[in-house]
Amino acid sequence: MISTRFVLKRLLLLVPVLVGVASLVFSILHLSPGDPALTIAGERASEEFVRQVEESLGLNDPIWVQYGRFLADAAQFQFGESFIIQRNTTVREVLANKLPVTLELALYGQLIGISLGIPLGILSAVKQDSITDHLTRIGALAGISVPIFWSGPLLILLFAQVLGLLPTSGRISVLYNVEAIRVTGLVTIDTLIAGELDMFVSAVRHMILPASVIGVYSMALISRMMRSSMLEVIRQDYMRTARAKGQGSKITVLKHGFRNAMIPVITVIGIQFGGLLGGAVLTETVFAIGGIGTLLVEAIKVGDYPIVQGTVLTFAFLFTLVNLGVDITYSILDPRIEQ
Amino acid sequence: MSQDGNSLSRRRFLSAAGTATATAALAGCTGGNGDETTTEETTDGGETTTEDDSGGNGDSPSVLRYGRGSHSPTLDFQNSTSGEVAKVTEQLYDTLINFEPGKSTLTQGLATEYTLEGTTASITLREGVMFHNGEEFTAQDFVATYRRFVDSDYENYAGDDYVSAYGPFTLGSWIDEIQVDGDYSMTIELTQTYAPFLRNLAMFAAAVHSQAAIEEYGTELSSNPVGTGPFQLSNLDDANELIRLEANSDYWGDGPNVDEVVFVTIGQNSTRAQSLASGELDITDGLGAQSSVQVENASNAELVRTEGINIGYMAFNMASVEEFRDRRVRQAISHAINTEAIVNEIYSGFATQASQPLPPNVLGHNDDLDPYPYDPDEAQRLLEEAGYGDGFSFELATFQNPRGYNPSPIQTAETVRSNLGDIGIEVEINQQSFGPFLEYTAQGRHDACFLGWYTDNADPDNFMYVLLHPQVEEGELTDGQDWVSFDAEGYNTSNRSGWANSEYMDLVEQGQSAYDEAERESLYNEANQIAHDEAPWVYLDYADELRGVSNRVSGFQIAAISGPYLNLVSLN
Repeated sequence: MISTRFVLKRLLLLVPVLVGVASLVFSILHLSPGDPALTIAGERASEEFVRQVEESLGLNDPIWVQYGRFLADAAQFQFGESFIIQRNTTVREVLANKLPVTLELALYGQLIGISLGIPLGILSAVKQDSITDHLTRIGALAGISVPIFWSGPLLILLFAQVLGLLPTSGRISVLYNVEAIRVTGLVTIDTLIAGELDMFVSAVRHMILPASVIGVYSMALISRMMRSSMLEVIRQDYMRTARAKGQGSKITVLKHGFRNAMIPVITVIGIQFGGLLGGAVLTETVFAIGGIGTLLVEAIKVGDYPIVQGTVLTFAFLFTLVNLGVDITYSILDPRIEQ
Repeated sequence: MSQDGNSLSRRRFLSAAGTATATAALAGCTGGNGDETTTEETTDGGETTTEDDSGGNGDSPSVLRYGRGSHSPTLDFQNSTSGEVAKVTEQLYDTLINFEPGKSTLTQGLATEYTLEGTTASITLREGVMFHNGEEFTAQDFVATYRRFVDSDYENYAGDDYVSAYGPFTLGSWIDEIQVDGDYSMTIELTQTYAPFLRNLAMFAAAVHSQAAIEEYGTELSSNPVGTGPFQLSNLDDANELIRLEANSDYWGDGPNVDEVVFVTIGQNSTRAQSLASGELDITDGLGAQSSVQVENASNAELVRTEGINIGYMAFNMASVEEFRDRRVRQAISHAINTEAIVNEIYSGFATQASQPLPPNVLGHNDDLDPYPYDPDEAQRLLEEAGYGDGFSFELATFQNPRGYNPSPIQTAETVRSNLGDIGIEVEINQQSFGPFLEYTAQGRHDACFLGWYTDNADPDNFMYVLLHPQVEEGELTDGQDWVSFDAEGYNTSNRSGWANSEYMDLVEQGQSAYDEAERESLYNEANQIAHDEAPWVYLDYADELRGVSNRVSGFQIAAISGPYLNLVSLN
């Protein structure tokens, strides 16, 4: 059982982490060169106009005033309005739009990764040094090594251009108005809720390539970790005992071994998923899925401070939350960890 | 909006519950059921339109899909200087005066007559034009729009943190007073004689909001546009970076010939080109050299190109580098840099070599001028004559990301370094991202820098005065010296050279206030001759405008200024 105390302790630890991240982001942004007022005002602006912008946004206040304001706002999850990317729209609103995009991609990618990676890893461990094992390991190595900016366009070329089976980019056919049926922001779910089957099919077809690209990479990592962890567990005394007691190898592996072998695998899944929530920038770029990662990169490029601060903090928050989830899962798998 | 969406989806969910979801998920892929559902939903759903994925068959609406690299940060032309905003607002809004599609000449817009004499512009407005909200367009709308943009005393002023720099740049700095004579006539009094004024009225930033909408929405106009244009907003989807427009059947002008337009954002050029080739887009812009070749090779689309109204250059900062104050040094460097190779090899021929500040197709471009030929020997001779035969060194500041007029800044800088190395000049490249780069160079901290300019209004003044005139008071200038410090009071930092050539300044000042076209042409011809000979910049290139257009599109007119004219486009 998980004690509330354990969870509370973990949650409290979030506070210093987030304050640290917030301060770091703030300092990096304000130490880096570039005047945001000038960027907002643009090349056509006179000096006077730039100063006017600076003043209206409080960018001419002393740095510690800006810092205090930022911390106070951040505590309420307010980051002000976007300077450039979505002019005069609150960062909260921008994030609310973009987070589901990233979440959906991460979920499907990870789903593919887990559902292929774990069975392959187990298979590989059980049949150690067999042809299956070698093939799986080569596959996994390739999955990790092939860069997405190469495999992505290649997949587009094959499935969209040559075979014409799947669309090249986006989340759903642009002919469909998904905004009007928005509930969760996840298009595959929203289209189902609305009962729009054509739209659902379109959303799924658009998801296949990007989710697979992420999934293959995840699968590779997960299966490698599963294999080595399982191999280690198989050699444990209790496994030998179980076999000696006459239990079949399938049952020993799945019942006694699986649970214990999962601990390092859960770590990998947690870190990966946390990372994916920060945006799979390359995949998003190649498939033109504007998620939170692309947003952050754009915001850094153009100097949209509020968006950068809001996005990084949200990412840090989600990442630590996922890690909390991982910790809780540990303690379910192995109650000793909680002590 | 989202509340509507919620109630809609609940209703739909209930109607689809039971048999639909699970069983139809298996059967639905065949399509028959789906079509039926679509028709039903559309009639009771009202605002939701769903179409067949194929996009162009008989009874489904015709949808034009326009691909581009970035989403619009706003739908209000007063809220941003971004070209991505202009592309969409040009469809939603009208200006008093228009550019003729594909040309840089002016034609009627919401104004049917317009004259500029002295400091007075007289404008007669078109009658019977309706805004998308059903209000009739009158002179009061223009006044409210103008005041919302520049007048901080106006109750509906959009705010210092909202309005874009085009407020003063296009209108505010030049307009003294607007007098309305009835609903369809007005007189604009200018602060000085200013020849480009009518062209400024044709810029996207000078479009007209509805006064009723200004009062109703305030700064929320950025997502609730109400214009008189050929299309009106049907849906802004920031999550998926899509903007959906529907035809305005009451449009006063030509077209529109399609039922809907969707602006689609695909950041990566190659993916966008592939989407065009696979039939998922009808028109795309923002193509680089590589993706242009992709489009050229596509069987179902073609690459359309025209000469752009822009310039890419390298500015010598005479205020900070003593060597650059000698004309012979600037000329030597102009001869030493192989701009022909830069344009043909690095920019893959999607640009032409520049010879002067003003690009072709703009009044006053001097056809007699040729680009400086690549001639290292002549360069060496000029350097020696100037007393710098042993060379010297300077820092070249450049931005890192491609810009239209300089698609490969780093490679271009490397070429400059290597070319100048041949004549003994040592170049150190200082590369920065665009924001910090602009700040660095606007403060005059560079020795030399790359930069460029896309026209706002296709007027010679927009290049010659804006980019090479120091715009300081007489007292700040020193007699017999053709440069001025960046610290001078009121200095125009868009002039990244610190150049202050009095003869040139006289000519462009006269050009700014002369209204006779022939006179202006000769003034700017002469000013260009001076700028060519004095070489405050190394003139690099005029970049082409490139668009990928699907074969199913007809009537598309590529334009170097304003547009895209999607009201003229139809789908086969």
